Parts: sequence; C-alpha cells; structure tokens
Amino acid sequence: MSTKRKQRRVLPGFGLSMGYTIVYLSLIILIPLAVLVLKASTLSLADFWQTITDKRVVASYKLTLYTSLLAAIVNAVFGTLIAWILVRYKFFGKRIIDALVDLPFALPTAVAGIALTTIYSPNGWIGQYFESLGIKIAYTPVGIMIALTFIGLPFVVRSVQPVLQELDHQYEEAASTLGAGSVQIFVKIILPAIFPAIITGFALAFARALGEYGSVVFISGNMPMKTEIVPLLIITKLEQYNYGGAAAIATVMLGFSFILLFLINFWQWRTAKKHQVT
Amino acid sequence: MIGKETTIIHFNVSSAKKASRHGAIKKWLLIAIALAFLGLFIVVPLLAVFSEALSKGMELYVAALTEPEALSAIKLTLLTAAIAVPINTIFGVIAAWGIAKFDFKGKNILITLIDIPFAVSPVIAGLVFVLLFGSQGVLGAFLEAYNLKIIFAVPGIVLATIFVTFPFVVRELLPIMQDQGTEEEQAAITLGANGWQTFFRITLPNIKWGLLYGVILCNARAMGEFGAVSVVSGHIRGLTNTIPLHVEILYNEYNFTAAFAVASLLALLALITLVLKSIVEYKSQKH
Amino acid sequence: MGISILDVSKRFGSYPAVKNVELEIPTGDFVALLGPSGSGKTTLLRLIAGLEGTDSGKILFNGVDYTNKTVKDRKVGFVFQHYALFRHMTIFENIAFGLKVRPRKFRPSKSEIKEKVFNLLKLVQLEQLADRYPSQLSGGQRQRIALARALAVEPEVLLLDEPFGALDAKVRQELRHWLREIHQKLNITTVFVTHDQEEALEMADTIVVMNKGMVEQIGSPEEVYQHPVNAFVYSFLGRVNELKGSTLSESTDRITDLADGTVGYIRPHEILLNKFQQGDSLPVEVSHVHTVGAVVRIEFKPLDTEEFYGAEMDIEKYKELGSVKKGNILYAEFKNIVVFGKETETPHVLTDTNRLSAAIH
Repeated sequence: MSTKRKQRRVLPGFGLSMGYTIVYLSLIILIPLAVLVLKASTLSLADFWQTITDKRVVASYKLTLYTSLLAAIVNAVFGTLIAWILVRYKFFGKRIIDALVDLPFALPTAVAGIALTTIYSPNGWIGQYFESLGIKIAYTPVGIMIALTFIGLPFVVRSVQPVLQELDHQYEEAASTLGAGSVQIFVKIILPAIFPAIITGFALAFARALGEYGSVVFISGNMPMKTEIVPLLIITKLEQYNYGGAAAIATVMLGFSFILLFLINFWQWRTAKKHQVT
Repeated sequence: MIGKETTIIHFNVSSAKKASRHGAIKKWLLIAIALAFLGLFIVVPLLAVFSEALSKGMELYVAALTEPEALSAIKLTLLTAAIAVPINTIFGVIAAWGIAKFDFKGKNILITLIDIPFAVSPVIAGLVFVLLFGSQGVLGAFLEAYNLKIIFAVPGIVLATIFVTFPFVVRELLPIMQDQGTEEEQAAITLGANGWQTFFRITLPNIKWGLLYGVILCNARAMGEFGAVSVVSGHIRGLTNTIPLHVEILYNEYNFTAAFAVASLLALLALITLVLKSIVEYKSQKH
Repeated sequence: MGISILDVSKRFGSYPAVKNVELEIPTGDFVALLGPSGSGKTTLLRLIAGLEGTDSGKILFNGVDYTNKTVKDRKVGFVFQHYALFRHMTIFENIAFGLKVRPRKFRPSKSEIKEKVFNLLKLVQLEQLADRYPSQLSGGQRQRIALARALAVEPEVLLLDEPFGALDAKVRQELRHWLREIHQKLNITTVFVTHDQEEALEMADTIVVMNKGMVEQIGSPEEVYQHPVNAFVYSFLGRVNELKGSTLSESTDRITDLADGTVGYIRPHEILLNKFQQGDSLPVEVSHVHTVGAVVRIEFKPLDTEEFYGAEMDIEKYKELGSVKKGNILYAEFKNIVVFGKETETPHVLTDTNRLSAAIH
C-alpha cells in the first residue's frame, strides 16, 4: 500500500467512477439482496429448515433442477451445431438465421410463454400430433423443458461462435495431412478447442433456466408436486403473505445462483488466462 | 475465407470430387438439422403470436390494442423504460470506464457482483423490493407514515426493472473498452486534453456502437420484463399494468386473441431489436 | 528545455522497472535510450512524460521540479509506439486535436488552426492526406502523422517510444534520416527509445545504454561504441565474438594474468584472416562463407574445437585473400581482444601490436 500512495493515475476519474459504481451497485443490488437474507434469518432455524425441506418445496427443487439441466444439455448439443453451421457454411438466409438466434434474448418471456403453450397444447399446431400419439407436452415437465430450451438457446451459440470463428483452419489442415478423418478431426482437434466455450454456454443457459419464470408459468400448468417450479412457489408464498417462507426459499435459490455465477466467472477468467499464455 | 477453402481443396486432388460430394451431403444434413431445430423453437412460436393475434380479423386486433387498459399499459411500459434505460446507461458507461481503464485489486469480484442480476431469478428481484418497501417490509412503516407507495405502484415497477436490466450496458461496453486499451486516451492527455474532453472526444466515439447495442438490449428487456414486475405490480388494471402483465391477464381470462394482439406488439419490438442489433453489428465491423 | 533526472526509481508491483537513474539532458539534445526489452527504457520515457508516477527521485525541467506535475502541465510531445492515432478522426482532426482542446482563451481561431495543421502536414510531407482516416494510411505515414500531431502543441520536449519499431527496414531507414532533419530544423530536445543499436548510433547525439532498469553508460555514439565501459555495452553495440578457455589463452598467450572463466570479446571486423601463418595467428577451419552486399562474413572454428566465430571484411579485402571455401584452413589473427574486469574495474584492451601490456582506457 505504501508504494500505491505515491502512484498517480494518468487517466482521470478513477475515484469518481469507482465510488459511483459501488454506491449504485450497493443500493440497487447488494442491499436489497441482503434484506432478503436478513428476512430469511428472522425465521427460527427449525422453521427455516422446515420451509425449505417441505415436500412440495423439495419436489419443485427437483423439477426445476432436472428440467433446467436437460434443457441446457439439449442447448449444448444443438447450440454447438448451430454455431458450427453459422461459422463454417455459406447458405442462403444465413444472416437472418444468425439474427434470429437472439430472439429469445429479445422476446419478452411472457410472450414466449403463451406462444409455446398455444403451440404445444393438445389442440395446438404441434401439440395435436403428439396428442394423437398419446403424448402430452403442455402442462407437463416436457413443456417446461421446451420453454427452458427456448430461453437458453442463444447462450451456447453465442459462446461457441466466436471461438469457432477464431479457430485456425491450419490445425484441421495439419490434422488431415497427418491422415485424420473428419470425425477424428472434430473429436480430437475442434472439440477440445471449443469445449470451454460449450461449458460456459451450458452453464449460462442452466443458470438462466433455474430462475426462469415468465416463459414457464404458462406452459407448466402449475400443479403442486408435479409441475410447480421454484420461482412460482416463491410467488405462491408471497400471495399467501408468507414473507418469511418466500424469503427462505428465495435464499436457497440465491445461494445456488451465486455458486453457479462464481463458478462461471471463475471458469471464464481461467480460460481467458490460459489463452493469454498460448 | 475463400483463400482457405481453396487450400483445403488443393491436396487430395484425385478423390476431390468424391470428397466434395460427401462434404456437401454432410453440410446440407447439418444445416437441415440446425434449421429444423431453430424453426421448431424460434420461428414457429414467433409465427404463432402473429397468427393468433390476427385470427379473428384486423378489427379485433386493433380494438385489443386501443382499449383504454391496453393504452395505459403501453404508456406505463414506455415510462418505465424511459426511466430505467437512461439510468442504467449512465451507470454502465461510468462503471465500464472505471473497470476497463484502470487496474485495481478485486476487479474480477466487482464484475461478478455486477453480473448478479443475470444469475438471480427475476422473481427474487421482485421479492427483494417487496421485502424492502412492502407494507410488511423493512421500510414499510416509514413509507406509510409519509403516505408513499412503492410496491403495487409505479416506483416499484421501475425499481424492479432497473434491477433486472442493471448489467446490460456495462457488460456490453467492458470487453470493447478493455480491447481498446488506454493508448488513445493517454495520447489525448499528452496533447493537453482534460478528463471530460478525453472522454467525450476520444472514448465515447470509440464505443458508440457497443453502447448503442447495450442500450437496445437493455431497452428490450426493460419493456419485456415479466417476472420481477409481476411480483411488485399488484396487477391493478389501468394503473400498474405493463404490456407483459396485460398480456398475462388477458390470457388468463381466456381472451386469447386480445392477449396475442398485445403480445404481437412485444414480438414486433423484439424483431425491431434484432434488426437494430444486426445493423449495429454491421456498422461496428466496418469500423 | 533541459531535463534532469535525479535518482529516479519505479517499481511495478515487485518488479523494479527503473532503478536509481541519474541523467542530464541538455536543451536541444537528441538522446537515444538504448537497451534490450525489459531494460526500463520505455518506463523511463513515460516517467519523463508523466504517464507514470515516480516512486522516488526527482525530475526537473529547466531546473524546476516537475516530479508531481500532471502530464498536461509538462507540455511534452509524446509519440506512441503504435502511434495511438484517433481512429474515428481524420488526419486533419488528429493533428488539430491538441489545439482544439485548449481553453477558449488560448485556443487559436479556426483559420489559424487550419494554417498550422497544413504547415505541419507540409513538414511531414503528407499534405494530400488531410481528409483520410488513420486506417487508410501505411505504417510510415501513420508514424509521420503521429509526430505532426505531437508537434502541433509546440512541445519543448519530444518523446518517442520505439518510433520505428513497427516499420519495415526500408521505410525505417528513410524515416531515421527524416527525423534527424526535423530535429535539426526545430531543435527541440528529443528523447527516443530503441532496442536497435544501429538506429541509436546513426541518429542520436547522446546514447544512454540501459540494462535491467539501470543506466550502464552515457556518451556520444563514438564513445559508447569505441570505449564501452563493460561487457554488456560492448556486446549490445554491434556483432561480437566471445572468446573463452583455450582459444582465448592461445590467442593471447603473452598475457599471464588470465583467470579461469575470463571472457574476451572481439568484433568480427577485428579478426584478420590469412592464407599463411603469420606471427602467432591461430589455424582455423572455414565452415561458411556468405556475402552481404559489400561485406563478406566468414564463419570458422579453430582446429580441434567446436566453437564457432565470425569474421567480417569488405569485399576488396576478400578478393585479396583469394577464394575461400568451406573446409579451407586459414590463419586467424585476433587484433583487438577486450577483457572486462569484474563489475567496476576498467576494461583492458589487448591490442595485437602491443600485447605485452594491456592498454587501459
């Protein structure tokens, strides 16, 4: 610190911008979140434990986790494929497709929710065909998964796309001159290079899916123990004026989101550092 | 790109024809799978919105958009975005300047903290403000004493929207500013420019496309936010309903056509956002 | 403006970039800060400009303490290594920037600015490029615009960070000559950083050789080249052969006080090659001959060793020597072996003509 004291910064505005950033961040984000945890802590430990391990709550944890996970896996596979065709192939309408990938970012979740519900309901455009096969999509966990796949799609594509773009063709050419087939090239050369980006995109999609509300609440049907996601349960508690209960469940979710967020940022920071060395 | 493709074709001349036909089959197969997926998950829902909206004719469509409750929802949404977007834009620019142009300890932690709204469920974003300002909340008694209403009123909606759109502009600017480094700013300082001159004449013109992109995304989210706003709004018709909340109410009343008519406004907004984004990307690549 | 640097140090974290540097630059001098990368030369330049703050020591401009003055107050012209031209401004706007940001009271009128910018463009011979953007210019043109921009604010000191580092050899040669000319015309105190000894020798009035954050030697190009104070300076300024062990003792057999591990240095052009044994010359085997323009370089190794040396001679001398091929045996005479003592000791130069006593500088 003693050497820092004399160090003068050439560009102005560090103190001002940092001060403003930290104050604003605290007021809008940190203090409100602290209040949430504080509220949860007003419950006795036994009450808190009972709230968060209630059967209905545990069922919603399970549902949220496994639908989010499955959706993120689907996105990891198809997102990588979409990134691949956008980077490697030329075809008519590519620019439009590229722009459309971001639709889930731009389309309000409620709109996505009612649209997906309508399509996949038993008499909807797609739902009717599954209905005739005896498969229900809307108002089941499958419907939830479809909504979560929709909102998570851009994450994987947008993580993988730039990495694939920068991947030098020379590596593949070198591999093919060494006699590698196209499957071998993909598995041994390309996949390792884009894998960190796939993981990042997967984790972002997963994190987003865990907290998603708008697009899911219409299609899920919201049946307790069956198709009730965690965010909905929080709202239910709130509507029953059970603020402590809502805060308790929200705190558990918040903790989970924080862990994921730190893992993602740490992972990105580490990959960036690794790239700097090479 | 073209140069690289020709080099691939160069070796393997003998089996080139066979290989290229094999490659073409693979290519179109992959494209077909990807497009089918995108069609199913992105295009079909989008079409469904407009098709349902217009299913009962233009007259009903216009009527759904011009009824007083719809108009007041539109007004409230515009008002909310008009407050939240500029506030978060100013924050974004200032924070990005501090983070990108200087070295300090704890930078990664600060960036992670700024990312929190991306990771936190919008429902929690709404909940925290209910716990803070609601009648049972920490400041509830205080607000009541002064007859101030935040929850189930416009200020709560604005606050929740600010929370969820908080990182958009900073996160868009940070990589651009970090990439550009500080040499141009240093040059400006050696030429006698002061801090403001350096910022407005050097830094800002260099980040303008990224800034615009961040603002567009921030705006799209501000106008479309559902979960957080739903928690704090109280769904008072004509007073605290934003467009997405109005869509929900209509839908839950089985008034599907009207719901989709209003939703089509938001879908249109999303399409405009995507077009603007593409233009901005194109412009910034040209520079 | 004269610059005095008094015992200046600067650390980055735990890394000492500049250590206790003392340097006196008189008004109008043309100074090269020369050293390998990581020697602290760029940091020293940035300390002078105020782009870094000192940890300790003082920097005086014309005898006035400027250590804590801002960059703006120092009124230095700084040319960045990668030019740092404002990419969203035209060349005209780039050069005019320093004038336009002045407070209203001191700001020249529009027509004055225009006149001044065009005068500068004339000086750097790029008048026709006023409306272009930096991305449309070649590296050499960008460099000249960066200089014009720095000169627009009429600095009393001009600081250049590796001014020709990013340019190809031919452009570099042209710009060296041109920068020298501009310095003569304007007579501004100029300091530039370079890692290229040829550039420093060719352009500067004074060379400051730096290594590991410290100044090794200060002097005119002739002084540092002819009379280097230590092995680092000697080997950094030009091609050099190192003589170790048996080769050294054989070629300097009349010197008795050679300790183990003593290293002798000799420049390639100071090795004489003959077809016949003369005096105490050493038999060597030629391993490679190549001609670079008017100079011929011959690589060889003393017989029974695996240590390679290089000799240089002009093409006329080579013709006198007659054709030489790989595998030929020649006799090498080491004319000017230099041996440096430990650290502070003055170097001994062992001259061929007078090997019996070590000449001392």
